Amino acid sequence: MIRDFVTIIQDYWLLLLIGQYPNGPLGGLANTIILSVLAIGLAFPISILMALARLSKWRLLRWPVTGLVYVTRGVPLLMLILWCYFVIPLWTGADVPSFFIMLVTLVVYQGAFLSEVVRAGIVSLGQGQMDAARALGHGYMGAMRFVILPQALYNMIPSMISTFVSTIKDTTLGYVINVPDLTFAASQVNNQLLTQPFQVFLILAVVYYIICWSLTFAANTIERRITRRRAGPRNARLRDDAAPLITIREQL
Amino acid sequence: MSTSISEPHAAPAIRITDVCKSYGDYRVLRNITAEVARGEVVVICGPSGSGKSTLIRTVNRLEEISSGAITFEGHDIHTPMRARDLNTLRSRIGFVFQSFNLFPHLSVVDNVSMSPIRVRGLPVDQAHDTALKLLDRVGLAEKANAYPGQLSGGQQQRVAIARALAMEPPVMLFDEPTSALDPEMVGEVLSVMKSLAADGMTMLCVTHEMGFARDVADRIWFIDKGEILESAPPEDFFQNPRHPRAQRFLADLRH
Repeated sequence: MIRDFVTIIQDYWLLLLIGQYPNGPLGGLANTIILSVLAIGLAFPISILMALARLSKWRLLRWPVTGLVYVTRGVPLLMLILWCYFVIPLWTGADVPSFFIMLVTLVVYQGAFLSEVVRAGIVSLGQGQMDAARALGHGYMGAMRFVILPQALYNMIPSMISTFVSTIKDTTLGYVINVPDLTFAASQVNNQLLTQPFQVFLILAVVYYIICWSLTFAANTIERRITRRRAGPRNARLRDDAAPLITIREQL
Repeated sequence: MSTSISEPHAAPAIRITDVCKSYGDYRVLRNITAEVARGEVVVICGPSGSGKSTLIRTVNRLEEISSGAITFEGHDIHTPMRARDLNTLRSRIGFVFQSFNLFPHLSVVDNVSMSPIRVRGLPVDQAHDTALKLLDRVGLAEKANAYPGQLSGGQQQRVAIARALAMEPPVMLFDEPTSALDPEMVGEVLSVMKSLAADGMTMLCVTHEMGFARDVADRIWFIDKGEILESAPPEDFFQNPRHPRAQRFLADLRH
């Protein structure tokens, strides 16, 4: 039994890692990670814009984005993937690679989820910070940039890592539109072996688990640190001269 | 319009003319008309819920008004204007909040110097030098690199005053600056405010500190149910308040 696992890994590790590259498209774990990082990297700035739009006083900005967020959150991701898969080529008339379709879908989907996280982060700061910034003469965007967002985004780091974890898991759904990711590679392996689905998919599960668990662990560690920092000086008194001025200068 | 004749200066720092504000049927401010002359220290007092904080927040338009006008050095604050112009006006009106509202992600010196850098475009070095001087003035030079979370309430409020002063405002507004403080920290904040007044700063303060009002104010506005019922120098107000509501308020304070 254990030998099966070792043999599978020995024979197919490269396929699982990078797919058929360089003879075919890049796939496997490498593609899963590239897809997740790109998705979250693009969803992050979009989610900030969406959150700002949802908090905007202009209905023209607030209503469409609110609608988009509600629809996106209320529809299964698989529906969205299939929809993009069939509709984007219809609209554009081009043969869009499935990797790209998956990326767009994930960006929209995770952007909608992250925008709620960002919005919660902004709202939870309370009105006082915005009042203080406005009273000093900052415009709305200046107050957002220098006062509100640095705090809101910092507080939101753990939630963002969680969203990243769920993005990694969501990339597996790309399988249905033939995105050559880790799941796709594993099922290729399974198709070649035919007799060891349990072993192959257990290996797949373990790989996903290790990646997602380490990220969740990182999120929890950071969350504890943030909680401690928010708790203030009575619990964790920093020395004044040890205060990290450098990071702050970078923000300025 | 009842512009009082006794004001010493021709162009007041703040002129409030017939200002009303309501939330639905509830009238928070009723026909407020008053002036703060340049260099004058005015204390607004009155029972809680009387509209004091709302009034002071309308002066830099953190609150909108329903009707009337407020001018700051002759500029109409509550008129349709470009956002940039309103920001410029606001940057010239210092505001100190009851809950300090320091920026917790910035060190003390960055709290004080950020707005001069970002709003007025001062060079970083110059803004930092000014910030350190102001922190020295409020007695907190040694806390320049600390974070707000590491300071006591009184220290935070003094930083907040330094932060407002960094924009070099000709007028300072204080919205119950000592109400959120432990009793032993009230004095340090009031003494900073006293020294500001002594330097000739125009100040409009909502406060329950009647000692401060008596010693420092040039004039007291007593406000109840959104109306200024009495506007008098402190000696008159405390010795023989004319309005029955003011008499009751002062009697309650003595208990």
